Amino acid sequence: MDERALNGILQSLDRRTFIRLSGKGIGFAAVANHLSACGGSSDGENNTNTPVDQEQTPTTDALPVPSQAYLMLSRTSFGVTHDDLALVEQMGIDAYLDQQLDPGSMDTSALENEIAVRFPLTQSSAAELYNGFPDNIGEVAQQMVAATQYRQLFSKRQLYELMVEFWSNHFNIHLLNGLGPTLKPVDDKNVIRPHALGNFRDLLHTSAKSPAMLFYLDNFYNQAEAPNENYARELLELHTLGVDGGYSELDIKQVARCFTGWSLTFPGQDEPFGEYRYYDFLHDKDAKQVLGLSIAAGGAEEDGEQVLDYLATHPSTAQFISTKLCRYFISDTPSDTLINAVASRFMETDGDIKSVLRTLFTSAEFLESYDLKFSTPSQYLGRLIRSLNTSNAFPSDQGLLFYYAQYLLGQLPFNWATPDGYPQSTSYWSNTGSLLNRWRFSFLSFANQISAFQVFTINWAHLIGGANTTSELVTALESRLLCRTMAEEDRQTIMDWLLTTLNTTEDGQLNDDIINAIVPAIAAVMASSVYFQMR
Amino acid sequence: MGFNRRALLTGQFSKNGIKATIRSSAISDRHVLVCLFQRGAADALNAIVPYADSNYLSHRPTIAIPPPGEFNGALDLDGFFGMNPNLGGFHSLYQQGHLAVVNACGIPHGSGSHFDAQVLVERAASSKAGDTSGWLGRHFAMQHQITPPNSSFHLVALSGNVPVSLYGAEEPLAMANIAEFGLDQGIIDSGYTDVLDKLFKPELPLHDTAQTALNALDELQIANPSQFSIDNNATYPNSELGNKMRQVAQLIKSDLPVETVCVDSENWDHHESIATYLPQSLSDLDNAVSAFYQDMGSRMDQVTVLIHTEFGRRVKENASAGVDHGTGSVAYLLGNGINGGQVIGAWPGLAQSNLEQGEDLAITTDLRSVFAEVLTKRMGATDLTEVLPGFEGSLDLGALI
Repeated sequence: MDERALNGILQSLDRRTFIRLSGKGIGFAAVANHLSACGGSSDGENNTNTPVDQEQTPTTDALPVPSQAYLMLSRTSFGVTHDDLALVEQMGIDAYLDQQLDPGSMDTSALENEIAVRFPLTQSSAAELYNGFPDNIGEVAQQMVAATQYRQLFSKRQLYELMVEFWSNHFNIHLLNGLGPTLKPVDDKNVIRPHALGNFRDLLHTSAKSPAMLFYLDNFYNQAEAPNENYARELLELHTLGVDGGYSELDIKQVARCFTGWSLTFPGQDEPFGEYRYYDFLHDKDAKQVLGLSIAAGGAEEDGEQVLDYLATHPSTAQFISTKLCRYFISDTPSDTLINAVASRFMETDGDIKSVLRTLFTSAEFLESYDLKFSTPSQYLGRLIRSLNTSNAFPSDQGLLFYYAQYLLGQLPFNWATPDGYPQSTSYWSNTGSLLNRWRFSFLSFANQISAFQVFTINWAHLIGGANTTSELVTALESRLLCRTMAEEDRQTIMDWLLTTLNTTEDGQLNDDIINAIVPAIAAVMASSVYFQMR
Repeated sequence: MGFNRRALLTGQFSKNGIKATIRSSAISDRHVLVCLFQRGAADALNAIVPYADSNYLSHRPTIAIPPPGEFNGALDLDGFFGMNPNLGGFHSLYQQGHLAVVNACGIPHGSGSHFDAQVLVERAASSKAGDTSGWLGRHFAMQHQITPPNSSFHLVALSGNVPVSLYGAEEPLAMANIAEFGLDQGIIDSGYTDVLDKLFKPELPLHDTAQTALNALDELQIANPSQFSIDNNATYPNSELGNKMRQVAQLIKSDLPVETVCVDSENWDHHESIATYLPQSLSDLDNAVSAFYQDMGSRMDQVTVLIHTEFGRRVKENASAGVDHGTGSVAYLLGNGINGGQVIGAWPGLAQSNLEQGEDLAITTDLRSVFAEVLTKRMGATDLTEVLPGFEGSLDLGALI
């Protein structure tokens, strides 16, 4: 294709024409509208050199210390469950970590088969998705979210799925942005998932050539004549060096020049839509100086590749990624000592993600970090569903109801509008609105009043065992739902409430009707408590 | 927490008691600041168009807004600047003297990162050294030492999260939607909230958050802001921002002692095709804020709306008919007590030699001067040394009466 033809396509391609179309007959526009409100605001957590905010790291000395197995599970999974806890206590946290860092050792074929059948659009190529576009936008979004949730809820590879979430936010792409619905599913399948526990350099290179990223951050427009700096800036600021990583505005301009011509195949060309393409006639052939890297004149696609190699192993990148990982897995304010140790490991291993995580999870700081993180919505919802759905059965619907649950709680996957991705900090999520939402959600869901939870059967009998006094019920749910021991004072608060409401004594036998009525309420209070919200 | 829910409940006991407490500090004797952040770096030159600057057109050959009188031309302000034609409501308010424009405005933080710059602007800081609290948070932390809060509604963010500008104040209220903020009466009657009140003990990390939420539930039951309908035939756009401004009006009309409401407006990051997208963003802003002004009627005597962004955009357009990140931008002040109908601030000019770093609109008015004037003339601040530490610029631009 020549320059004139491409320019014609570029000019005619009005990105948000597609967004406008997306409202037609899909009933998705309201959600899309609403979602746009989620983006934009920042709490500065991408800064590496400054504290996230002025709030002190909360202390939870008032809570009895949970077991090490509980701590490990609460950080490496989408929710501690009673069964998982028993397993980890039996095998030991070291063996459990080994297993989680070797996801191939755990069979997920049944889950993946189920996802392929239930959510086939997640397996489609960009060209196939474009054929159905824009009528398929709503369906693509729902299937992408549902597939992600299914993996978070049902996969044995829990740490791997957390890292998929981490990188999906690190290399954030808004699914509903323009052609995003035709491109992001392929990015998820070919960029994020294959490299989530692999090597950072590989991940960075695949992301840079991902049509979804090239479109989302405007690099498909980037040409020698007047470069578009959007991708270059976010590559340095959000993907690699971090905002304090030691680059200048001039470096951004130079990096943008290196990526001129990196684009994709468009509708109307002979080739299938949505593949990566380098257009040499759009490339800036002059020499460039990027940070410490000199790029000779006359280069082509390799100009950008050299930049990626340089950035992937830069000490600032190691520091930035390590800081984010420590905040994601340990606390909002990890120590410099820990960050430096993790960053050193990153440098020693050229960005081997498994090695980096092993250093993090075997650190003394991790082992003492219980109850420092407020669960994100995905972790809270995960814990709620994973602990209730004791048979681990797939939902009877197509995942749509989980979709709305996640939407209500404010963290629908792939729907953060700006390139910084969903925040992971406690200071962002632990506010009045989110706490109240969770209280309401806990109460209604345990009382089985939210349709999201009618897609599987809650086996209360399994959860309470043979308990039939108030004291036994509280003990059973403490063990099965909280997976840890409450402070005596807190237990007494719940007991007082029950004894007054039921007009009974601690050891008074309760009949089945009363048990059926009161167990969901006890569970709701426990799931609303600090024990369940912190991890 | 400066006030205690249990004390409030047991001390006053009846709902009338709470209501009396709230009334005593309600709107009649305080001013409300509505702080609207245009997130994503709103362009200055195509919003407040310097049509008489001879360099404007040459910097933006394909995307410039035509001068007044031409098709889709700017709405004239003062013979030099014009407003984007999608700011018709703002233009009327300007002509009536209820809106002032502060041009070539910003904080010289030097950051081209949205995320960093938003944080710095909300901290009212030109560098990352120093305090991490927000400018409104610092102000209210001091004010609330003098007059302790007696409600969860003094500081409200109509959002799923608390903005950095409110950091430092005691537990602001974050709620994405007033109507959805609450629990069914049946749940409250079951004793659930009382149990939660006891479980979120003072020594626990979420204590303050829980107390604010529980207290807000009590207050909302009484004040019920959702009951207030739209006045004066105002029409809010059916958009996220329109919906939020409507809720701001409801909060102010209720008896809740709101002092500041923070609202976000999205979609200002126009790297490409700005001629297509900026009109949509400006229309939405114009329609939502104009409807709010109309809906509020005479209540606007006690309300000031401040609109600003994190930085402006590049003077020259790029090859994708958009503009990349720049420096100077625009702030707006609206209300009935405004020295409106004027474009405040020295114009740095668009000749190559006048551009910041050779490519950006320079900042001639520090946004902190706007903050300072709002704080002293509207929010009761007397000493700004701790609220705007190290700031030595003007504390009075003459924008407010």
